[in-house]
Amino acid sequence: MSLREVLTPFSVWKRVLDAPVSIADPFSREASEHYRGFHKNDMETCIGCGTCEAICQNGAIDMVPVEGQNTEKGDSGLRPMIDYGRCCWCALCVDICMTGSLTMSNEYTWVDSDPDAFRFIPGLNEPWKDKQAGYKRENGRVLSGTTRSPMGELHANERIDNFNEICVGYTREEAILEADRCVECGLCVATCPAHMSIPDYIAAVRDQDYDRGLQLLYETNPFSEVCGRICTHKCETSCAAVHEGDAIAIRWLKRHIVDNVPLERRVELIGAPKPATGKSVAIIGAGPGGLTAAYDLAREGVKVTVYEALPKPGGMMRYGIPEYRLPYDALDRDIAVIEAMGVTIKCATVVGVDVQMEDLRQSHDAVILAIGLQMGRGTRIPGSEGAGVERAVDLLRRITAGDPTVPVPETAVVIGGGNVAFDIARSMARLQKIKYGRVGLTLTALEDRAHFLADKEELVEGDEEGVLILDSRGPQEVMRDPSGQVTGLRTWAVTSIFDAEGRFAPAYDESDEQIHQGALVIEAIGQMADTSLLGDALTEKLEWNRGRIKIDSEMRTSEPWLFAAGDAVKGPDVINAVADGHRAARTVMEAIAQGEVVQ
Amino acid sequence: MSEANKERLLGKTTVREIFEVATEFERVAHRFYSELVPKVSKDLRWLVEELAEEEAEHIRIFTELAQNPAVEAVLAEEITRPVADPKFSDCVQTPDLGPNPDDQAVLQYALMRETAAMEQYTELAKTAPAGPLRDAFLFLAKEETEHKAELEKTYYEVVHSGGV
Amino acid sequence: MFSFQPDRSEYPQPGLDGKLEIDLETGKYLKLWHGPNHPGITGNMSVELTVCGDEVVEGKTHVGYLHRGFEKLMERRTFIQVFPIVCRVCVPEPDFNEYCYAAAVEELAGIEVPELATWMRTLILEMGRFNSYMMFLGGIGGALGLGITGQWMTYVRDLMLDRFEELTGARIYHMFILPGGVRGHLPEGFAARMEEVLQTAETYLADVDKVMFANSVFQLRTKGIGVIEPALFEPYGVTGPNARAGGVAKDVRKDSPYLVYDQLDFEVATGMDSDIFTRAKVRRADIQTSIDLIRQILKKMPKDGPVMAKLPNVLHWKIPRGETYIKGECSRGEYGYYLVTDGSGYPRRINVRGPSYTHAMALLEHLIPGTNISDVAALMVSLHTYPPEIER
Repeated sequence: MSLREVLTPFSVWKRVLDAPVSIADPFSREASEHYRGFHKNDMETCIGCGTCEAICQNGAIDMVPVEGQNTEKGDSGLRPMIDYGRCCWCALCVDICMTGSLTMSNEYTWVDSDPDAFRFIPGLNEPWKDKQAGYKRENGRVLSGTTRSPMGELHANERIDNFNEICVGYTREEAILEADRCVECGLCVATCPAHMSIPDYIAAVRDQDYDRGLQLLYETNPFSEVCGRICTHKCETSCAAVHEGDAIAIRWLKRHIVDNVPLERRVELIGAPKPATGKSVAIIGAGPGGLTAAYDLAREGVKVTVYEALPKPGGMMRYGIPEYRLPYDALDRDIAVIEAMGVTIKCATVVGVDVQMEDLRQSHDAVILAIGLQMGRGTRIPGSEGAGVERAVDLLRRITAGDPTVPVPETAVVIGGGNVAFDIARSMARLQKIKYGRVGLTLTALEDRAHFLADKEELVEGDEEGVLILDSRGPQEVMRDPSGQVTGLRTWAVTSIFDAEGRFAPAYDESDEQIHQGALVIEAIGQMADTSLLGDALTEKLEWNRGRIKIDSEMRTSEPWLFAAGDAVKGPDVINAVADGHRAARTVMEAIAQGEVVQ
Repeated sequence: MSEANKERLLGKTTVREIFEVATEFERVAHRFYSELVPKVSKDLRWLVEELAEEEAEHIRIFTELAQNPAVEAVLAEEITRPVADPKFSDCVQTPDLGPNPDDQAVLQYALMRETAAMEQYTELAKTAPAGPLRDAFLFLAKEETEHKAELEKTYYEVVHSGGV
Repeated sequence: MFSFQPDRSEYPQPGLDGKLEIDLETGKYLKLWHGPNHPGITGNMSVELTVCGDEVVEGKTHVGYLHRGFEKLMERRTFIQVFPIVCRVCVPEPDFNEYCYAAAVEELAGIEVPELATWMRTLILEMGRFNSYMMFLGGIGGALGLGITGQWMTYVRDLMLDRFEELTGARIYHMFILPGGVRGHLPEGFAARMEEVLQTAETYLADVDKVMFANSVFQLRTKGIGVIEPALFEPYGVTGPNARAGGVAKDVRKDSPYLVYDQLDFEVATGMDSDIFTRAKVRRADIQTSIDLIRQILKKMPKDGPVMAKLPNVLHWKIPRGETYIKGECSRGEYGYYLVTDGSGYPRRINVRGPSYTHAMALLEHLIPGTNISDVAALMVSLHTYPPEIER
């Protein structure tokens, strides 16, 4: 031991003069810019999807009702409540948040004598509510996928001269990738009119268990092959993933399941119906509403006879929707399953002509009316009466039926911006391409492009196929030459469609007038039900609600033996009709059970 | 050229004439809708009934006005003929909607009629002599504007059925 | 039936002839409970000492005060939910758990981490190593009554925690190394502020050299004491600075480079005497290595680029059947995660290999007999033990 080693340590005495480094008042110390401090939640952006609750490893988050937050489409109305006795500030809840509403402030001191105060709902009135600094996810939402698996499609050139199905369906790999993105929040289930078990059947795709998937589909929808192709998929608009990325392709995944289960296997998986009850029900209309009710009733052991006016069953699914969107054999398979349950479908049987309502009433325990909206509406603008002006639904029906007299001129104009307008426009474009080698079709709609009522893909695909889509055009007159031949459509530019209160009140700029050439004008502005089959006496006896047969929430009409469902009473949509069909069947079963229905 | 036609060309008329045409306008419509009610099938009846009720209310207003001395006092006064008057006067004729009009035809007729009435009353509300008559036109202008808006909404619901 | 040898339930141990070598009835011996809270260790751990005079004749280690059952908890959590837990396995140097777990998951799930993220991870690990050594220096000083080292090192560590805070968003449990990458980029001006901290640290460390390493009392109380015979390294699984102080230049960073260590320039510090002093000295040299490495990383790392790979949806992330062992050199030696997956959404088994387990439980019992009571604390600190990592 040298003297140096004894003395050296004393050289650090100089530190005595250093200022103290301790922070005297820790409450005033501002944490760093990205500190993971107390939670904030933007109540308006939050959709209550509960992924924060799902990812929390310590069960610190509960989704609870909050005053002022209502359950609505795409919003559960619940909001996260966080227990700071369990939270570990890992911020996975912030990272997984589907809307980015959940964030963290850099606040980190909170003193309270009430232990319950630390179980709180961020976003209400915490003092750090408006504080900007705090943890933000720098890389965006990385904990679940944001981009949709693209759907394989025929190229415009490959599809414009035929009616082949455009979408080829997902491969297994694509489907698994897409199914993986689902966070199973279930907001879609609430939005779907039929309340299909969407997250569950998507999980079945992930697990590659198509049998389970199909069983789940049939629990709520006997038209899964149809809906997997042409459903209006309102579910996808309320998908949590839509806020920062693409919505899950729910419709395509449904189709993928059905595509992977052969028809015989479907019948096998569903199993046999219950034993016959001896009851019988007549259903008028073999569309989605009528056949869904038929399926449910047949499953319950009821003898079901469906009366269909047209030569084949399916209603608008067959005679409205073009084959390139919904191939007939896909529809046939769905109907085959329904028939396999013992349902009898009498086609080409017009109620009111071949069979009378009163007869149906006499010979069945109940009658369900599911007649749809089969008649097209016209604009009734000058020149619209007479040859050369057609209704879209009539033409579509004739095209499906293979009617050789369907007019296919070199140029045609369609009025309307909904799916039906696009269906006829694109069908007619195909017929033109086949006949003349080129497309000569103009589609005019009141709405501007951003507000078309048709699905977005209709616009994209219509453009691709060479349909000239003119938005914000109001029809004024069908132009005819002296001989009365239609030569085109005169339109004015639309400056607004709705007034300040959102009421339909189209306003035009008359100085912007155009004439669209066409030897045929097709009106696709709306449809109505043909209720003449009821007969005068029954029409007079029934109660009506603003032009539609009045029904209660359980699909009962004012006549105890008559029930009504589908487009004719609820407006046009396949999945709504399916939901109606279920409800009507359930009501009929209950009514039969209670002996309410008088034979 | 008759005196009345000259007046018409000059764009001038009397309050009396305006008042009488308006009264007739409402009366014709009410009679038309009332007679239509039993003719249409039950699913359309709601629409025609609603229209008839509205017109009945307007007739009541005009009947009361006719008995009002304050109105009587101004009937002879001159007033500027409204721009929409020809269209309005045309509506005094009973329309021909055919033997069995459907909902769309009734609606289109009603819409045309409400539009003419709205324009007519809106202008009269500005030019009529102050007093109960102007108040009535003010009220009617507001009523017809609202009716027109409601009819347009109904038209969209009935005819465009959601537009799909 | 399987029985543990020796049977630790019997203590003191009987001799080969069945008689007790240490017979407490004689009055010659005294039992001394050293712990669970004492200056010898960072955390809670006890040594049950049998002393004869002031000489320790036997010591039995007791752990379990910090058992939280993390390995079992992990088996009941999805792969993403394990992420917030792992750092808690070792409080003073949490980042190694995050790295090892993330790397294990990435290997089994087949995820490639962006280059910038590997640099960031290396930076985080070296910052963590630096902080861990700050606790060591404070601890070894404290064990020998040299309180000032502890105060200074706490301050310096706090400065580094400020850097952690601005980089990761937290001071202690950083939860920054996520499977797939890291959670963010370097904040603006980070390198400059880090340089300030490193320079401050260097002035304090220079003073530690004077007040501790050059201190005759410190030297007298640490040199030649607590010697680990190099022959014990293999059977006791001694790694890290404990082994390096005995002349074995073992360092995972060099021996099987991970992250970006093969692109960094550094030497492994070693010593020969294998006593408390040498072990402290090796760690002192390691601190300087870490400081150099932090500077190198900040200089060499890519300036921009992604830091997160594309992950599957973590809410139902399933990883194919497989197993892997990921290891790295933490401040105490070889740290490793053994992960077994069975194709489900949950880890089948996670086993944490922390060096404290071997060093503080088995090796310590071997080293303790023959030491002076007053040296026990320093001996324990010199093994650099973190009890939470023993118990998991």
